[in-house]
Amino acid sequence: MMTADLQRSWVEQLISDANAGLPGQDLAWLDSARADARQAVAELPLPNRKQESWRYSAVESLLKNSFRPAPDDVSELQALDLQNWLLPAYEAYRLVFANGHFVPQLSSGALLPAGVTLGNLRTALAGDSEWLARWFGQTANHTEHLFTALNTALANDGALIHIAAGVEVDRPIEVVYLSLGQETAALVQPRNLVVLEAGAKATLVERFIGSGEAGYFNNNLTEIALRDGASLAHYRVQDESRNAWHLSSLYLAQDRDSRYLGTTLAFGAGWARTDYNTRFSDQGAACELNGLYTAGDRQVTDFHVNVQHSVPGCASRERFKGILFGKGRAVFDGRILVDKQAQHTDAHLTNDNLMLTRDAEVDTKPQLEIYADDVKCSHGTTVGQLDPEQVFYLRSRGIAVDAARKMLCLGFAGEIIDTVELQPLREYAAGRLADTLNAAVVEE
Amino acid sequence: MLSIKNLQVAIEGKDILRGLNLDIGAGEVHAIMGPNGSGKSTLSHALAGRDGYQVTGGEVLFDGRDLLALEPEQRAHLGVFLGMQYPVELPGVNNMMFMRESLNAIRRARGEEELDAVAFMTRVRDKARLVDLDEKLLKRNVNAGFSGGEKKRNEILQMAMLEPKLAILDETDSGLDIDALRVIAGGVNALRSPERSIILITHYQRLLDYIEPDFVHVMVGGRIVRSGDKSLALELEEKGYGWIEEEAA
Ligand SMILES: Nc1ncnc2c1ncn2[C@@H]1O[C@H](COP(=O)(O)OP(=O)(O)O)[C@@H](O)[C@H]1O
Ligand SMILES: [Mg+2]
Repeated sequence: MMTADLQRSWVEQLISDANAGLPGQDLAWLDSARADARQAVAELPLPNRKQESWRYSAVESLLKNSFRPAPDDVSELQALDLQNWLLPAYEAYRLVFANGHFVPQLSSGALLPAGVTLGNLRTALAGDSEWLARWFGQTANHTEHLFTALNTALANDGALIHIAAGVEVDRPIEVVYLSLGQETAALVQPRNLVVLEAGAKATLVERFIGSGEAGYFNNNLTEIALRDGASLAHYRVQDESRNAWHLSSLYLAQDRDSRYLGTTLAFGAGWARTDYNTRFSDQGAACELNGLYTAGDRQVTDFHVNVQHSVPGCASRERFKGILFGKGRAVFDGRILVDKQAQHTDAHLTNDNLMLTRDAEVDTKPQLEIYADDVKCSHGTTVGQLDPEQVFYLRSRGIAVDAARKMLCLGFAGEIIDTVELQPLREYAAGRLADTLNAAVVEE
Repeated sequence: MLSIKNLQVAIEGKDILRGLNLDIGAGEVHAIMGPNGSGKSTLSHALAGRDGYQVTGGEVLFDGRDLLALEPEQRAHLGVFLGMQYPVELPGVNNMMFMRESLNAIRRARGEEELDAVAFMTRVRDKARLVDLDEKLLKRNVNAGFSGGEKKRNEILQMAMLEPKLAILDETDSGLDIDALRVIAGGVNALRSPERSIILITHYQRLLDYIEPDFVHVMVGGRIVRSGDKSLALELEEKGYGWIEEEAA
């Protein structure tokens, strides 16, 4: 069999097995979304390097595995001590998924404030799924992207968050995805939906945590709808195991005067990619996307940002920074599209990369497409090394060379870490980065 | 305490220091003057151990130890401090955190206890007052957006914090107005002690009105061509460097 056929075959196998055990098969709206998605999977070409959005992403290393859905049985995991992974000094409303399946014992159940609905897809599909029908698949385009189609066709479980109009949630909402003791080539596909009604305000933390050697694939997808004046701070920490594949597809629909602040901190996985897609429906909305990534030997990390300004008077700001060492590789592809009618758009994009070794590599591609004439837009990218003069300054003050380099890296990353407004998470990020850099120094 | 013998240093293959001799005793203040490009900053960087300064000959003994064999941080641990002519900005590195790391790295290397946060704060506030440095600058990133004068104050603050045995101050006076110069000079004078030697690199005799040197040296073409007491500085002020350059040629 040709390689492409082989790659095709596991995807098709997944689809032909698809209906077995999927929840909500009696729901017409879901059935039709899944059918469309299945058809798209069958018809869409496999991602390959000839496609612009996969040009630098080494997708063949992902496709050559024959991924199979992770087993449904997570009963063993219910006795887990979640404390091992929680951050100290930090109260949150929590949803926990283990190997893709909701673990009610580890999640916050009752005692949610009025207007806050937290749940999981599988349970919701068996009960009152009316609001789900209204939102599911509305922002994600599941006939255009293979992995989005795959996630939709096999939609099985995931986090559901609904905040009623005007409600300000008093604590962060945290979704934890644990991947533990996975079999090799297990496929996990969280399917999440976050809706903030008009004027609602919330902080959402997502943490992807993996351990063990297995090369599982987390193909997660999150749809976020922010209605008029809603405001969401969304922090994502990607700590997958070093052999894992991780693909996050985020679809963001922002209504009038809504605010989205998103910061992703990507440390783990062997192959990781995050796709942000933002659309504005009306003026006055603002979207801020920040990212920090590190990559060392046998790591590829990839960010694709696609912000579409098709209405006037919205703002977007993207700031991404990477620290690369060993033979680490990164890709940044940031696209801002400003349509003709999107006057008074304020859009700025930067990507800065710090290369600690000669063998590290980055492909960075900012694209600003502007068709309106009264806008404020800018973009800039840098790829550089640590400044020897700065290293010398620190050493001349008694700080050892490794510590000096680390201090400058942390300084470089600080601008992104500081966008996290939760102190325990900020401290975790700084500590995690310091550990990563310590390991990097040892690797060299 | 410091003995420099026939020091030769090249940068990118170009000879800059061409056989420099200098002996400095404990507690002495030596001013080094000289025209632009004569090699003063090269000397200061070579003593501090900056990469790219190739020592092609000669030796430097610091308290009897071969200084040139040591890494920059090891020199700092022994008590060498360089106040830079152009202090770099360190984006994202908090000034206070930096000074604490620096002080504690040196203390650790000497087998001393680290200063805890409270003891450190007390000390840094105290010393900041000595150089009249706005406490707000302690909370900012190192030198980031500091004015020229603020950068120099920050250098002297570090000197005060680290209490070096040998401080090399490279054109600490350049770009300062007269009030700032007085403050900086006051700070340096307060740090004079029988155990602390100072090399004061300057372009102008003005600084020496405020910090009185024990010796004055004139550097031309990578060598010290004349040494004397502070009257030599006055003579230079009056006549310029031309006559010495001619003599040296
Ligand atoms: N990084 C460098 N690369 C090449 N030449 C340099 C470098 N730094 C200094 N020099 C040269 O060395 C000489 C001495 O410079 P410097 O030590 O800065 O003099 P001073 O401090 O006395 O003005 C000058 O000719 C200068 O051009
Ligand atoms: Mg100089």
